[in-house]
Amino acid sequence: MPKIDMPPGALVLLILRVLRAGPLHGYAIAQRIHALSAEVLRVEEGSLYPALQKILLKGWVTAEWGTSETNRKVRFYELTAAGRKQLEAELDGYDRVNEAIQAVLRTA
Amino acid sequence: MSDLLRRLRYLLGRGRHDAELADELEFHREMASRQGRANVGNLLRLREESRDAWGWTWIDRLGQDLRYATRMLAKSPGFTLTAVAMLALGIGVNVAAFGFFNLIFLSALPVRDPDSLLSFQRRAPQAYASDLPYPVMDFYREHTRTLSAVLALHSTDLTLENSSKPAKAHFVTDNYFTELGGAAQMGRLLEAGTTAPVVVLSYGFWQRHLGGDPQAVGKTLRLNQHPVVVVGVAVPGFSGLNLNQVDVWLPIARQPEFVSGSELLTSYSGDANGVQMWGRLKPGLTPKAVEDEMSGLAAELRKRYPKEIWENETLASEPGGYVKLNGGGQRGTGTPVSGREKLFPILVLVSSLVLLILAVACGNLGSLLLARGVAREREIAIRVSVGAGSGRLVRQLFTESLLLAILGSTAGLALGAGVLRYLLIFTDAPEWLNPAPDWRVIGFALGMGFAAAMLFGLTPALQVARQQHRRTVARQVLIGAQVAASCILLIVAGLLVRALTHAVAMHPGFEYQQAVTIDTDLGRYGYSPGRAKVYLETLANRVREIPGVQSVSMVSSAPLGRRTSIIGMVVDGRRVDLHSNHVDGKYFETMKIPLLRGRVFEPEEKNAVIVSESFARFRWPNEDPLGKLIDPSNNRQRVVGIAGSARTGALKDPDAAELYSPIEAEEWPSLLLIARTSGRPEELLAPVAALAKSQDPLVFPALETMKESFRRKLEPAERSAAAISVLGLTALALACLGIVGLVTYAVSQRTKEIGIRMALGARPGDVLRSVLRQFSVPVIAGLLVGVGGAAALSQLLRRELYGISHLDPTAYLGAVGVFVVTATLAALWPARQALRVDPLGALRHE
Repeated sequence: MPKIDMPPGALVLLILRVLRAGPLHGYAIAQRIHALSAEVLRVEEGSLYPALQKILLKGWVTAEWGTSETNRKVRFYELTAAGRKQLEAELDGYDRVNEAIQAVLRTA
Repeated sequence: MSDLLRRLRYLLGRGRHDAELADELEFHREMASRQGRANVGNLLRLREESRDAWGWTWIDRLGQDLRYATRMLAKSPGFTLTAVAMLALGIGVNVAAFGFFNLIFLSALPVRDPDSLLSFQRRAPQAYASDLPYPVMDFYREHTRTLSAVLALHSTDLTLENSSKPAKAHFVTDNYFTELGGAAQMGRLLEAGTTAPVVVLSYGFWQRHLGGDPQAVGKTLRLNQHPVVVVGVAVPGFSGLNLNQVDVWLPIARQPEFVSGSELLTSYSGDANGVQMWGRLKPGLTPKAVEDEMSGLAAELRKRYPKEIWENETLASEPGGYVKLNGGGQRGTGTPVSGREKLFPILVLVSSLVLLILAVACGNLGSLLLARGVAREREIAIRVSVGAGSGRLVRQLFTESLLLAILGSTAGLALGAGVLRYLLIFTDAPEWLNPAPDWRVIGFALGMGFAAAMLFGLTPALQVARQQHRRTVARQVLIGAQVAASCILLIVAGLLVRALTHAVAMHPGFEYQQAVTIDTDLGRYGYSPGRAKVYLETLANRVREIPGVQSVSMVSSAPLGRRTSIIGMVVDGRRVDLHSNHVDGKYFETMKIPLLRGRVFEPEEKNAVIVSESFARFRWPNEDPLGKLIDPSNNRQRVVGIAGSARTGALKDPDAAELYSPIEAEEWPSLLLIARTSGRPEELLAPVAALAKSQDPLVFPALETMKESFRRKLEPAERSAAAISVLGLTALALACLGIVGLVTYAVSQRTKEIGIRMALGARPGDVLRSVLRQFSVPVIAGLLVGVGGAAALSQLLRRELYGISHLDPTAYLGAVGVFVVTATLAALWPARQALRVDPLGALRHE
C-alpha cells in the first residue's frame, strides 16, 4: 500500500469534513479518511490526536462520551457551529488554491 | 468562548483531560489490534505530544524543576538557611528603607479621595509663603468656581491645665472632618455650622492625657485657661493633612477666644500668623484651571489691599493628598527650595547605604552558590551524561536560585516590615502611619529578590553548566566587593559617631549650659510693638532681679532655637549661609561670645551690624572689616564690631556664619528673652513663669533651658548615627561570615597540598601564609575602593558633620582598623584547621 504523506493543514480539513456527516470517535475518523481516500491516505495516530486536540482548543468540535460499536465507552467528536463555518472557509480556500495549482500545471 | 478561556478551562481540569486522552488512545490501540495492527507506537509519547497542543507543558516542566529544587534545598538545610538569611537581611534593610520612603512620599494620606485634594502656597515672582492670611483664604473660598470645598488649618500650642507640656492644637474650618472623611471613635466630630466652643481630641491625646476615659465626651478641658467641652474623639486612623502630631482640633472661628487679642481672622497682613489652605478640585478640572482662577482673584483683591497682596501673586498648587511634610510657616524671598530638593542628597545617601548592604549579602550568596556548584560537580556530570542539555541544566540551577529568591524576599519582607514598625515607634511617628507593606513594597521586595537571583544565581549556574573553572577570579571579585561595601558603611558610621562625639565635646563658640530661652510670642496675642516693648523690658528687668541671674537680653532668634533666619550669600562664587539675628547690646555678654574688635550696639542704634569672625574672613579675607559696608549699595549695614564665631543657628554646618543687627522698632512682638544664671538653669524656669503670669495672665511663654535645646538639636544626629552604625556592623558581620566560609573552603580544597608541605617541613607560619595569600589582594583592593567610595559618598554629609571634615582621618583609620582586625580574626579562625592537617592522613587520602 503506497503511503502518501498528508500535506500540512489538510488533515484538519479532512477531519472536519468527515465529521460533517455526524459524530465519530478518533479511531473511526482515521478509518473513514483511510476508506474514503480509497485506502491511499493513512492517518497516523501521531498526527491524528495532536490535531484533534488542536481542533478542540479552537472550539471547532466538542467531545462527548458515547458507546462504540464494540460496546465500550469512548469520546465522540461532534462539529460545532464554529467548526462548520471553519470547514466552509477552508473548503473555499482549498478549492481556490487547488484551481490555481491546476491552472499552473495545465499551462506551464 | 475564546481560545484562552478554553485553555484555562483545560488547565483547571488537566488531570481529568489527561486520563480521558489516555483512555481514548487505549481504545485506539484495542481497535487497531482487533484489525491485526499490533504496533501503535509509544502511547505515552503520543499522549505528551497531544497535550502539547494546549500549551501548558511549561507548567509541568516548571513544576518538575521546582519539585527538584525544593528537594535539593531541603537536602542541605544549612546552605538553604544561610542563603535565605543572607537574602532576607539584604532585602529586609532595603524594604525597610523603601517602605519608609513609600509611606512618606508615595502613598496617599488615608483621607477620602486624596487625588482631588490640592494644597496651596502663595507665590509671586520674588516671594513665597506657605501660609495665607485668613481673610484672604476666606475671599478665595467665597469666590472660587473651580474648587468644591476649601479647607484651612492654623496650628498653635495651647497651654493645658495640669500638664507641663502644651497641647498641639489645630484650628480648622468646620468642613475639615467631613471633607476628609474622618470618623469618630466616640462622640462626634466638628460639623458644618459648629460654632460652640467645642474640642475634638486625637486618639493619642485621649489615651495619653485622659487615659482612654470612656466618659470623656462632655468633659471640660481648659486650654489657655479657657474652658471648652469635649464633643468627640477621632479614630486613630484619622491623619489630618500632614505628618505633624495633633492633640486637639478646634473650630477656627473660635480661635480669638483662646488667644486673646489674636487678629488671625481679620488681619490681611502676611506678617502675622496665617492659615494653610487646601481645596478640593471639582471633577473634570485641572490644577492649572484653579491656579489661573486664583491669579485673577488675587489681582482683584490686590485692588483693595495693594500692600498686603503681592504684585502678580498667584496660588501655586501641589497634590494635597500626598504632601505630608508640609508643616507651614515657611516664607521668604525668591523661589522656595522645595522639601524634596533638600531631601534629595539624604535619599541618595540612604539608598546607597542600604544597597551596599544588599551588595554584601549578595556577594556572600554568590560565594555560597559557587561553592555549592563545585560540591555538585559529580551530580551535574551524571546528569549531563544521561542526556540533560545545558539549557535544561541552567534552567534547573536557576530555578533553585529563584526559589531562594522567593524565600529570601518573603523573609526580607517580614524583616523589613518589622524593622519599619520599630522605626516608626522609635521616631514617635503618628499612629495612623501604617507600616504594613502595600503592593508597592511587596513588588519592591520581590523585584529585589529576583534581581539578586539573576545576578548571583545565573552566573554560577552558567559556569557550572558549562563545567568551566573560572571560580577563583569570581570568588576574588566577590570578596573584594564585599570588603569595599562594608568598608564604606563602616566609614560613614564612623564619621557620624565621630561627628556626634565632637558635637558634644566641642565649644560651639558660645556657652549654653547655664542659659534659658523665654519665648513669649507676643505677636500671637495681638500685642502692638509699643506694648510688646513695655512688656519685654519690664519682664527683663524683673528677671534680672532673680538671685543668680547674671545677664538678660533680647533676640529675634534664640541660640539653638526652632526659628532661624538664613540669608544665602554668594561672594566670588563661594556660598555661605548667613544666620541673621537681631540682638540688643547685652547679647554677647549673655551668650559669652567674645567681642574680638570694635564695640556692641548702643541703645536705639541703627545702620550698624556686627559680624562673626568667620563671616569677616569670608567676606574680606585680606582687609580690615571695621567700618566696611557689607553691601556697598546699602549704607544701613556698616560693620561696627567683630564677634567670635558662634554657630548658634546651625551647630552642624561648617559653612554657617553670623550677622547681628540692632533690634528694629516693629519687631518687638516677635522677640524672645534669653537669660544666664550662675546656678542651675532648671531652677530659673519656675520663677520666670510666675513672673510672666503676674505680668499678664493671658500670655503663656514657652520656657526651655538651652541644655534641653541642645539635646533636641542633637537628637536626629544621634538617631542617624545609631541607625548607620547598625547597618555598618551588619555589613561587617556579613563580610566576616563570607570570609570564614571562603577560608574554610580554601583549606578543605588544599588539604593534600598542605599535608605535603608539612611533611616537607613547612612551619605553621608558612602554611597559614600559603592559605591566606590568595585573599590579600582582593581584600586590599576592596579596602582601597571602599575608602575611595566613602570619600566620594560622604561629601553628601559634609554639612551634617558638626564641623569635622568628611575626610576625618580618625574616622577612616578607626573604621579600616576595626575592619582589618575583625576580618583577620575571621580568616585566622578557620585557617587554624590547616595547621591541624595530619600529613600522613592527607597523603594516604585517595
